[in-house]
Amino acid sequence: MSFSEKNKAMTELLYQLADDDFIHAHRGSEWLGLAPHIEEDVAFSSINQDTMGHAAMYYKLLEDLGEGKADDLSHRRKPEQYRNAIILEERNGSGEYLESPQYDWAFTVIRHFFYDVSKKIRLESLKQSSYEPLSEAARKILTEQYYHLMHWEVWFKQLMTSTAKARKKMEAAIFKVWDDFGGVLTLGPYGDEMVKAGLIEDEEVLKTRFTERMQKYFQSVDFKLVTEPQMKRGDGRAGVHTPDLEHALSTLSEVYVSDAEAAGW
Amino acid sequence: MKKDHHESDAFYEEFEVFSKKKDGSPIQHQFSLLAPNEEMALIMAKENFFRREPAVDIWVVKRSNIRKLAQSEKEALKKLDKPYRETKGYADLNRRWRAFKEKGKDEWLKGEKEA
Amino acid sequence: MIEQLTFDVLNDEQKYQHFMERINRGEKIEADDWMPDDYRQALIRLISMHGISEIMGALPEKEWVPKAPTLNRKLAIMAKVQDEMGHGQLLLRVAEDLMKPLGKNRDNIMQDLFSKRLKFHNVFHMPSPTWGDAAVIAWLVDGAAILSQTMMLDTSYGPYGRALKRICQEESFHAKHGESLVLSLAEGTDKQKQMLQEAVNRWWDALLMFFGPKSKNETGHSNVDKNIKYKLRTKTNEQLRQEFLTKYVPKMKLIGLDIPDKTIRFDEDKQEWIYKEPDWNEFKKIVSGNGPKTNERLHLRQSSYEQNEWVREALGHISSAAVG
Repeated sequence: MSFSEKNKAMTELLYQLADDDFIHAHRGSEWLGLAPHIEEDVAFSSINQDTMGHAAMYYKLLEDLGEGKADDLSHRRKPEQYRNAIILEERNGSGEYLESPQYDWAFTVIRHFFYDVSKKIRLESLKQSSYEPLSEAARKILTEQYYHLMHWEVWFKQLMTSTAKARKKMEAAIFKVWDDFGGVLTLGPYGDEMVKAGLIEDEEVLKTRFTERMQKYFQSVDFKLVTEPQMKRGDGRAGVHTPDLEHALSTLSEVYVSDAEAAGW
Repeated sequence: MKKDHHESDAFYEEFEVFSKKKDGSPIQHQFSLLAPNEEMALIMAKENFFRREPAVDIWVVKRSNIRKLAQSEKEALKKLDKPYRETKGYADLNRRWRAFKEKGKDEWLKGEKEA
Repeated sequence: MIEQLTFDVLNDEQKYQHFMERINRGEKIEADDWMPDDYRQALIRLISMHGISEIMGALPEKEWVPKAPTLNRKLAIMAKVQDEMGHGQLLLRVAEDLMKPLGKNRDNIMQDLFSKRLKFHNVFHMPSPTWGDAAVIAWLVDGAAILSQTMMLDTSYGPYGRALKRICQEESFHAKHGESLVLSLAEGTDKQKQMLQEAVNRWWDALLMFFGPKSKNETGHSNVDKNIKYKLRTKTNEQLRQEFLTKYVPKMKLIGLDIPDKTIRFDEDKQEWIYKEPDWNEFKKIVSGNGPKTNERLHLRQSSYEQNEWVREALGHISSAAVG
């Protein structure tokens, strides 16, 4: 494959990785001060910081490839230029984060748990990436993934095996996340080129690993799900997004774009 | 809104958190936290108390499993001096060694003269 | 066993005398030790207010977590607000242990907050409409908090002292973070400088109020004397306010900020700052739960607490099931 084909595959993959972590960390951080109890608030925030830190590492790799400044890439692109999965941009619940947010903890636990399971599988594959800076980043990020996964696994198992009310909320959240989780597992329109360039393994291979892993978790809490994860609202890797992303980005970039003359913040 | 305090009491269990700073150091008490069970207490402990401080091991112990001293018992820990089992009870040793050294010098000098 | 009953056989007066001797010798009182009700109540009032102020203090800054301008600023402010929540955790644990013999727990603290029985610091009732406010909070509100917390490090209550020690260690990061935010705006465009100055104008009175009134003449009551007698604190409100002005007024002037008090000056003879008194009636109004943002922030905290009730119920269920 030509240099420009390979370069396109590489930047597309890096945007997916960066944008996934960026928007996911943002949704998590909106919980700051509002989690079910104070100790969890503190613990959850560390996970969001780590994840935002991972996004910053990927944006830096894009900067090194000449795509522009990391802060511009994260704060100045148009919504259709983002490559994150749609399920990750979804609001935590109805309401603004400052006014009567009706956040759903079950949805948050499920989305974070599924995401961290898939993220670990993806990182294991990226360790073998032909692009050395990416494989090195993957190795670093993996060191933080163990405790993130442990955190959500504890929440998942406990809420799934507690009261009937909690079980019902958790199952509803599983179905909701499953409907769009295919969007996290896909490599998007340039997936074949990414695989050809040796950047990452085939998405079908990764997807199988994920579903097998999830089946084990489901069995451990006596839950069954026979369908594959879907992509009902479209492919974020292809630039398809919901109004939730646009709304989030206008908040995230409000200050950064407020003064065109500003050299520093 | 009517609340069931029994449930929230069960959620708010007290756990004491201990940690080991680095390989070879002793386990030390850090602080306490509220969590519904051991597993939760552990995942909370790490980020609540070791965001910056290093830790190579973390323990969580349910407070109700700790037998502590009552105040009378603590007061009773104050001991009378037992000088015979501390170094300060043997403060006279230096003086006595010095005496031997002085004497030894004299003995030696005496020997020199006689020879 | 019989020999060990010596402390238990003392009457209340003797226990009180024994307690005050310990305080005056500089010994530290621990949660399970005997203490007079008056001391316990003073501690509960002081520490639960301090703790809940940290929790409520996370809210005005939290508004700026997603809006922080760069990746690095987003990370740093997240870490800082997380620390505030962490400080709240430490302090509430200390308060909860003191309240336990009275049959109360964290849930009671939350309910007291929602019903406005439990008060929180005046500064956290105020709006923070711009990024400049985030910078001023991080630099000056935290700066004020550092001074009052450092003063209490040697408090007679052991658990409070240990919590403050952890808190003060983290505050050194907060101080740098605040300076960095303010300097970036002060070095920036006219628009950025103006944003900073306007935030200072908004916060000045609240900062002076932060340390509390000089004496009870201003607000009708004060717990300062009692807190000094029990060695919970070592300095008066006014001493702290003077320290604050000495530390920050010259720095503010150095970076080109106007102090929003034309009369402020340092009196060389008296060796103290002369400044315009803030409106103490306004202070009373704010801390009793009628500040500009009080109801909105209480609503935010209360609604999230109630919405997550099912989580605490579910896991409380696991805990009791596991114990049998």
